[in-house]
Amino acid sequence: MSVALEAVGFAPVGLVELPFRDGYVPSIVVVSLYVSLVAVSLSTLVSVPVAVTMGFLEFPGKSLVKSVINTGMGFPSVVVGLVVLFVVSNQGPLGSFELIFTREAMILSQFVLATPPITAISLAAITGVDDGVREAASALGGTRVDVALVVLKEARYGIATAILAGFGRAISEVGSVLIVGGNITSADGISKTRTLTTAIQLEARQGRYETAMILGAVLVVLVLTVNTIVVRLGDGNAPR
Amino acid sequence: MLRATDVTHAYDAEPVLTDVSLVVDPGEVLALIGPSGVGKTTLLRILGLSLEPTAGTVTFDRTDVWAADTARRRALRRRTGTVFQAASLFDASVARNVEYGLRVRRSWRERIRSGLRGLVGREDVSGSVHDALGVVGLPDAASRSADSLSGGEAQRVSFARALAYDPDLLLLDEPTSDLDPRNTAVVEDAVERASDRDIGVVVATHDMNQAERIADRVAVLLGDGVTEVGPTEAVFDDPHDDRTRQFIAGELVY
Amino acid sequence: MSIQRRRFITALGAGATVAAAGCAGNTMDGETNESGSNGETTAQVGVAGETLTLTTTTSTYDTGLLDAIHTNFEDLYGVSVDAVAQGTGAALESARNGDADVVMVHARSLEDEFMRNGYGINRRDLMFNDFVIVGPEADPAGIQGASSATDALTTIADAQAPFVSRGDNSGTHTKELVLWEEAGTQPGGDWYQETGTGMGEALNIANQQGAYTLSDRGTFISQRSEIDLTILVQGPIEGGPEILANPYGVMAVNPGVHDNANYDLAMAYIGWITSPGAQDAIADYQMNGEQLFFPEAVSEEPDFQQYVPEGWQSDSASE
Repeated sequence: MSVALEAVGFAPVGLVELPFRDGYVPSIVVVSLYVSLVAVSLSTLVSVPVAVTMGFLEFPGKSLVKSVINTGMGFPSVVVGLVVLFVVSNQGPLGSFELIFTREAMILSQFVLATPPITAISLAAITGVDDGVREAASALGGTRVDVALVVLKEARYGIATAILAGFGRAISEVGSVLIVGGNITSADGISKTRTLTTAIQLEARQGRYETAMILGAVLVVLVLTVNTIVVRLGDGNAPR
Repeated sequence: MLRATDVTHAYDAEPVLTDVSLVVDPGEVLALIGPSGVGKTTLLRILGLSLEPTAGTVTFDRTDVWAADTARRRALRRRTGTVFQAASLFDASVARNVEYGLRVRRSWRERIRSGLRGLVGREDVSGSVHDALGVVGLPDAASRSADSLSGGEAQRVSFARALAYDPDLLLLDEPTSDLDPRNTAVVEDAVERASDRDIGVVVATHDMNQAERIADRVAVLLGDGVTEVGPTEAVFDDPHDDRTRQFIAGELVY
Repeated sequence: MSIQRRRFITALGAGATVAAAGCAGNTMDGETNESGSNGETTAQVGVAGETLTLTTTTSTYDTGLLDAIHTNFEDLYGVSVDAVAQGTGAALESARNGDADVVMVHARSLEDEFMRNGYGINRRDLMFNDFVIVGPEADPAGIQGASSATDALTTIADAQAPFVSRGDNSGTHTKELVLWEEAGTQPGGDWYQETGTGMGEALNIANQQGAYTLSDRGTFISQRSEIDLTILVQGPIEGGPEILANPYGVMAVNPGVHDNANYDLAMAYIGWITSPGAQDAIADYQMNGEQLFFPEAVSEEPDFQQYVPEGWQSDSASE
């Protein structure tokens, strides 16, 4: 499974030897995590208030907004990539910020992809909160803000699931981050805009499927770890 | 303290309540009795200042509730407490549930501060919480989680929750219809203790025996309006209206 | 963090440049000088700390050549190079949009179009390798050792032997289409498969199906141990037909069209990569023990055609 390119050395990752330089795999893991965590955090800051608003208010066009969100969940990510490319390219409206081929552009496209699932699943969790709880919170003297906080707290596991779903979508993203990020590493192999997924794509296009699979396994372990941590935190706080 | 005058309410074309007039004084227990669906819950919500009647006046503490501005009305509403048929506790500890009413009445600064204290170490459970739990016979339940309670215990905690911030008016909607006799007795005892503290209590119930046990006065709803209001014994022993007599005797079937 | 890093690189670059100037023996005054002899702080090189965006093809990038040689350029100027492997078409499109500063591809007809449309200037021939036609050892169509690539393709078409095409407007695909055109054959039918994948994957597919394909020598060399295909028609490096030559060109993005293009740095890059030192490094680069690229930029008799679209002539009517 090793490709003996003379320019690279070997970097043992655990028990498995990968044909990469030292620091390559850690650097792409760092970029993957950085881009996805920032994107999901920003998305959560937007999605949860939107979900709360939709859960509590009626407004004209609400069902339209709901349809848009649900469509967004299944939206082909590579199309999002093309749209973001257009936007951040020198020719596009945000061209002057020089975001093309940067991590910020990748964060932008992952933000667009993560927001619909986080919003939709949070909304489901929020509307799933028993009406009796809402009524009680209000009857006991809570303002609308108090009631919203109570509902958020009741829905916290559902919202955590939503955020994990958004994270899953973000970190598995290939097409759009490849297009807007450019899959760049420095000459000594330290990733600039290369993520685990785009690294996998690079190995696969060169026919190095076994290496690609190993990187894939790293990605799966990473996602599993994040999920486990979040679920653990949730269990830790559950009333006994 | 609380006065409803000529209250009429209709959700659509058919009125549910017509020209209902009631008074609730501090420390007295008023039972709203009648068959299911007759409008007890509607009337209870109107008396609880959370539903505006289609017509009529509601005064609380001599203020016309629905003529006042939003802030004043909210302040008045906050002096009431409601216990529903289902306990609807929050997914948290018993203490967090019971202190909810206290918490939302504090300033935000105070709430953030006590929230931070809670993060760092165990926050002290307020005395009012212990007191309220004592009234419902659950003095040691503070640290238990809400989902570990039995149905009866949950309803009792729900009562404590409404009591903890010392409301002037307590409204109970069929509070014991899902409970076994033992828990029912505890709740009825709690009602009495609340009225001993000069809290006005309005209880909607279809259980006439309960009404007889706990109420100072009853208001019998039989159709579109209150048919009889009066001291419990008087209404039960010698009702003015035939329908009342038939309902009490269990003969009236709807 | 990045600001500190930039300052560090700037200092590195400035120090390196001045040291280099000292070693070269001459300052602008024509005197030999050590650094800082005037007591002034050393002047910052104009491009230090900047980033050059280079778009190129996937096959070029995948050889690892760029990662091997770019460090030298980065240290020399105190800059960093973002090499974006996009595929020929996308690389040129990025440059057209102004998202790249310099482009390196190996599709002369597309490069010519790029220049004609005003997007690219100062083109230089960079290096070349070649293409090979590979296929199963059994060679069902019998093209082994053919001296004409176009004849070989015609034979494959006549035999309807399975053939894998990149089908993606890459440099390889562009060459393949040129070959079909020269052969006068229109490929089509069940035996002709367009995969739309990278070269490595295409070789894998051809391997699995026992099909023929056109590959750049470099990718084939790197895959050789994993697949059972063999070279049936050699490229010019090993004596095969000239038409299979694969020349690489490098162009700067025209600052007249995109004023945000980092033209100074692009020209520094082109100057460096066509310099004798870098051209030697290119020749020295090996994959699996074989030389992969043959430098073309340094020559006693420069080919002037490299600067303009092929066949370009100035108008006889002057203004």
